[in-house]
Amino acid sequence: MRWNGRTRCALVCVGFVALFSAFSFRLVYLQLVKHDEYAGLAAEKHVYKQPIYAERGLIIDATGEVLAHNVPVETVVADTSHLNKEKGAEAVALLSRELNLEADELAEKLGSDRHYVVLKRQVPQSAADALRAKLRLQNLRGIYFEHDSTRIYPNGSMLCHVIGFTDFDHKGIQGVEASMDEYLRGQDGYRYIEHNRAGQEIVLYRGQERAPRDGYQVHLTVDLNLQNIVENEIDAAVREFNPQKATIILMRPQTGEILAMANRPDFDLNQRNTARPEQMKNRAIIDMMEPGSTFKIVTAAAALNEKKVRPDTTIFCENGRWNFGGRPLHDHKSYGELSVQDILVKSSNIGAAKLALSVGDQKFYEYIRRFGFGERTGVELPGEISGVIRPPQSWSKISITRIPMGHEVGVTPLQMTVAMATIANGGKLITPRIVKSVTAADGKTITEFTPQQVRQVISPQTSQQLSNALRGVVSDRGTAAAAAVAGFTIAGKTGTAQKVDPHGGYEHGKYVVSFTGFLPAEHPEFVGLVVLDDAKTSKPEQNYGGQIAGPIFARIAEKAARYLDLEPHPELTKPTAASRVASTIASRR
Amino acid sequence: MSTRRKNVNQVDAASLARWIVITGFLALAGLCYVYLTLQLHRLGDRKKILETELANIRTENDLASVQVTALTSRSALQRRLKEGYLKMVPITEQSIVRLAPIRPATDEDAIRPVANDRIGK
Repeated sequence: MRWNGRTRCALVCVGFVALFSAFSFRLVYLQLVKHDEYAGLAAEKHVYKQPIYAERGLIIDATGEVLAHNVPVETVVADTSHLNKEKGAEAVALLSRELNLEADELAEKLGSDRHYVVLKRQVPQSAADALRAKLRLQNLRGIYFEHDSTRIYPNGSMLCHVIGFTDFDHKGIQGVEASMDEYLRGQDGYRYIEHNRAGQEIVLYRGQERAPRDGYQVHLTVDLNLQNIVENEIDAAVREFNPQKATIILMRPQTGEILAMANRPDFDLNQRNTARPEQMKNRAIIDMMEPGSTFKIVTAAAALNEKKVRPDTTIFCENGRWNFGGRPLHDHKSYGELSVQDILVKSSNIGAAKLALSVGDQKFYEYIRRFGFGERTGVELPGEISGVIRPPQSWSKISITRIPMGHEVGVTPLQMTVAMATIANGGKLITPRIVKSVTAADGKTITEFTPQQVRQVISPQTSQQLSNALRGVVSDRGTAAAAAVAGFTIAGKTGTAQKVDPHGGYEHGKYVVSFTGFLPAEHPEFVGLVVLDDAKTSKPEQNYGGQIAGPIFARIAEKAARYLDLEPHPELTKPTAASRVASTIASRR
Repeated sequence: MSTRRKNVNQVDAASLARWIVITGFLALAGLCYVYLTLQLHRLGDRKKILETELANIRTENDLASVQVTALTSRSALQRRLKEGYLKMVPITEQSIVRLAPIRPATDEDAIRPVANDRIGK
């Protein structure tokens, strides 16, 4: 073979063709066959899914006052692949100092090879700005800041059990924060971004993006002005009687709207980490109590509605002592013949027992259940209990005489309020509501919670008869004269139940005193319940619902009536509630 | 003279000009591409700066809103009231005028509220 010029030229050409063909094949192999694999590796190195947090919705009261707000904070995160290893110690020292973190823990976090390490959450804006400036000054890379928010509650402990709180991940834990979490939470967005070597975003290469949807605003039925009245009175009651627990509820009987709800002990929502578990319980819905004589409204309602008796039917009350089923039943005073109306006014246990007997076990049990006892009321608050109502099959021989006076049953304060509301509104059992509506930030209504009638429990006529009888309770003849409010007619019922011992039986000398009533009796605007568990009085004979809970109700009702601008009854010229309360207190001293 | 002309390389001016234009166009296109890409990066950076500014303004607004809420909350106002910073004068019962529904007068000369029934009809 002769190596002339043409041959050599051809060989060089072939060589080039072979070389470029090899390059081409490699290129095709990399771009087509291995594309996904290498693109994934590259993306892993540079592409980062940046979360865009949705803002949690506000909780607002009936008057538009904000009850739960968001305050902007920042989350400090690190991408360890962007950290300058030579300046590692410097970064640890600075971050440890600025964020109040343990240096060892921080060094361990920054020493890992993870791309996303959360260093500290909920860093206040000012602290984050200061750290940002120092990082820039020392030319430290790989530390990033993410906008976030934390919850604050401007009113501290007020309405704490209703509002509830969230955890670090903004998930509702208690109260409306938990029950309405679905609406309040919103939906986080995200954005795929690429960083350069310095860790700065290359905006040009932004990838897929989804905008966040902020949480909706939840409007409560609670009126903070009424809540404030209730909170002041419950605080005064705690100071005066030092009860173990206390609960006050105000509710609109026609719609089931809860206007105020307060419990003691309570806690500051902004310092919930220091609160003890017993402070966090919403006792209005999770505490069970024997209601005592307030339960007689159910007994009387059953007997009247079944037309076994009329309000003026007289019943012999055995002069204060009656043996039934081998066990004596006592009244606190000796009564002979009492009308049904007076059984409520005087709160006769024997009279109530005889009313229940006239109705019969099964029917009486049905009425108890129809009033909503033994089932959750359905209020928009988490953790509500149903209470304990045993069926007649498991009653003892004397249960039919004890249940009518509120023993052997376990009810929640809210159930008791709802039962009284049923009498106030013409016999309709209404689902209590704490949430009025849910709206978007622009005011558009998302959901509206309308009043829900569960069932007609008693006839309007029976309800009227009961209402008239209960007006007598708040009179000079009744057990709750101190619950009267000048200018207004009040219907109500007192309750004094011996406290149940968790180890069995009853605790001697310890009582749960209560009063539940509504105002004005003719066309009720609100129903209220006051319960004090183990109130301490100087004399045992003062430890009655009418003497302790009644005056508290009167003070609340007077202020609430003034706030709601209820027109006083022009014909009523009773002494003012204040003077009655003063006389009650004076009589104690 | 004619032999000399034959040996000189002939330049096709038209073709040269065409290539010069094409090359120039390609160079210009390349430069434009580079310039526009740089502009996009610059605009991206500007967008990022504006986004940061907007986020900061929003944060400041949120902080101010939280402060306003905290300062005007019922608890804060009550604290101020206790400190004596605010004062509330109770409205006496005599100062409240209630617009009660019209009732027929008991006496002929009794003073009673009146209303124009035709208004709004």
